[in-house]
Amino acid sequence: MRVIIAEIKKDVKILLAYPIEIVFWIISPLLWVVPLIFQGKALIGGLHSTAFSNLAGTGEYIPYVLIGGIFSTYMFTAVWSMGNALRNEMFYGTLEHILSSPVRPFYILLGKALYNSILSTFFVAVQISICVIFFGLTITLTRIIPIVFFLLLLMIGLYGVGFIAAALTLLIKESQGILHLFEYILFLFTPIRYPVEVHPITRAVSVFIPLTYALVALRGILLGIEFDFVKNSLVLLGLDAAIVPLGIWIFMRIEKRTKTKGTLAHY
Amino acid sequence: MLKGLVKLFKKKRKDEIKAVDGVSFEIKEGEIFGLLGPNGAGKTTLIKCISTLLIPDEGTATVGGYDINKDPLGVRRMIGVLTGGERSLYWKLTPVENLKYFAALYGVPRKKTAERIDYLLELMDLKNKARERVERLSSGMKQKLSIARTLIHDPPILLIDEPTLGLDPYFARFIRGFIKDELHTKLGKTILLTTHYMDEADELCERVAFMYNGKIKALDTPVLLKQSMPQEQVLEVKCLGDLDNEVFKHFRESVSLNIGKQDGLTYIRMNTENPEDLLSRVIDTVRERVKVLSVIVTSPTLEDVFVHLTGASLKDDYSQRPQNALRDR
Repeated sequence: MRVIIAEIKKDVKILLAYPIEIVFWIISPLLWVVPLIFQGKALIGGLHSTAFSNLAGTGEYIPYVLIGGIFSTYMFTAVWSMGNALRNEMFYGTLEHILSSPVRPFYILLGKALYNSILSTFFVAVQISICVIFFGLTITLTRIIPIVFFLLLLMIGLYGVGFIAAALTLLIKESQGILHLFEYILFLFTPIRYPVEVHPITRAVSVFIPLTYALVALRGILLGIEFDFVKNSLVLLGLDAAIVPLGIWIFMRIEKRTKTKGTLAHY
Repeated sequence: MLKGLVKLFKKKRKDEIKAVDGVSFEIKEGEIFGLLGPNGAGKTTLIKCISTLLIPDEGTATVGGYDINKDPLGVRRMIGVLTGGERSLYWKLTPVENLKYFAALYGVPRKKTAERIDYLLELMDLKNKARERVERLSSGMKQKLSIARTLIHDPPILLIDEPTLGLDPYFARFIRGFIKDELHTKLGKTILLTTHYMDEADELCERVAFMYNGKIKALDTPVLLKQSMPQEQVLEVKCLGDLDNEVFKHFRESVSLNIGKQDGLTYIRMNTENPEDLLSRVIDTVRERVKVLSVIVTSPTLEDVFVHLTGASLKDDYSQRPQNALRDR
């Protein structure tokens, strides 16, 4: 536990050492959300679409996209931050020193994952505040508990995805390309901007991605769309149970491979 | 204790480099043991295997009673690794924040952490810089902080890779003094030190292993290694100008010869039993080509022994082996 806290503290302190980066974190939620709203308005010409309602279970396109945009932040910061975390350590020259300490890399990665969750929560809080203040999104206290419940289930699964992203960075060194690929795949196969029912392939692939179930549940809670609470919870739990060990296993395999090939500190 | 350690690196499909080739030796408790060899000899690869950052292809090592293959976490608890110098720190954090972080990684008890950090900052004369960001410290201070980081968990065994590489002479002397007086004499650490500076190995190490092309070529105390030279004296001629190595072709039959070139100067070192006889021949050979600046007759250094055994030089400047190392056996 101490290692995890030390890792979070270290990453937060390093982030705070870059004031411009903090300004970016404050401004970027706004820049991320507003285009989605404008896009929705331009396409639908109002707040309601009957055609959209047939696929999504709600005709409210803008709130639908807002929720997708806001909560997918967890996914993207997990992939980007975890993927870049080890690469940053390579650049600092500290990767070999943390990996030669008597701590399993899992705990270091877990610390980095929790740091990402803190960052994402801040990011999401700013986005929700913008939506509540400027775009009329309403959140009541009774909704917060199930939201937190599904967010926790989502985050656990994302740690698994983050471990895979970190492992791939360790393997291929240059993380930008693979992380962009991850991002585009997620945009394509999860209901961030549109219902995955739009195409049979997106629907088929989306069932393996935790974000799909989390978004269905979160939209259900926030927009009053009917959804199966138990089913979504259980599937998310099942995916978490599969993805986290898979992520750890992949990371351990790739760490061993880099130690065998002697490419651990290469970048 | 190392037993038949082998580390291969695959270059292309079938090409393999044996960076470490069947290395075995034992380091005694409390000893400073030096691995001496030129760049690319395999020293750093060996350190990485011992520190569990690389997995060996064959063989094993036992460090503080733990096997590197079977119990890497046990090994890591016993060792402190000093490599990478100032790049091994977080520059955006202060020395105290860096040390606190590594104390957590190395499991230093919370209650002892502050006391330990205080002691190390005092030891390294960094107390007045404790709350400044590392990026604002001088190179020497960063190197000192790296040492403090290595010592944070008070490990009994230290792996030190090229501790004075790239440092100015004053600070290099400080580091050598610190390793010998503080780490070895006062704190009683067992130290494995790699270097390609013969003076450093001679000054610090109780025993030295010569490493070349991944293999241990010789292992003994510096005194006994030097005594193992067949010739007891060395003739060193320092010349102004560049000399073609081919000029010394005819000397190869009789002497072990090492030519170094640096800053427009050529250094010729020849191991010989009769420096007086050799001197006139050398002067005759070089006088028309370069200006002779000095002639010294001296005792063999560890470098002379290394050249004698491997035919290669330890120094970067004349590391274009084997062309510059015109040694005949």
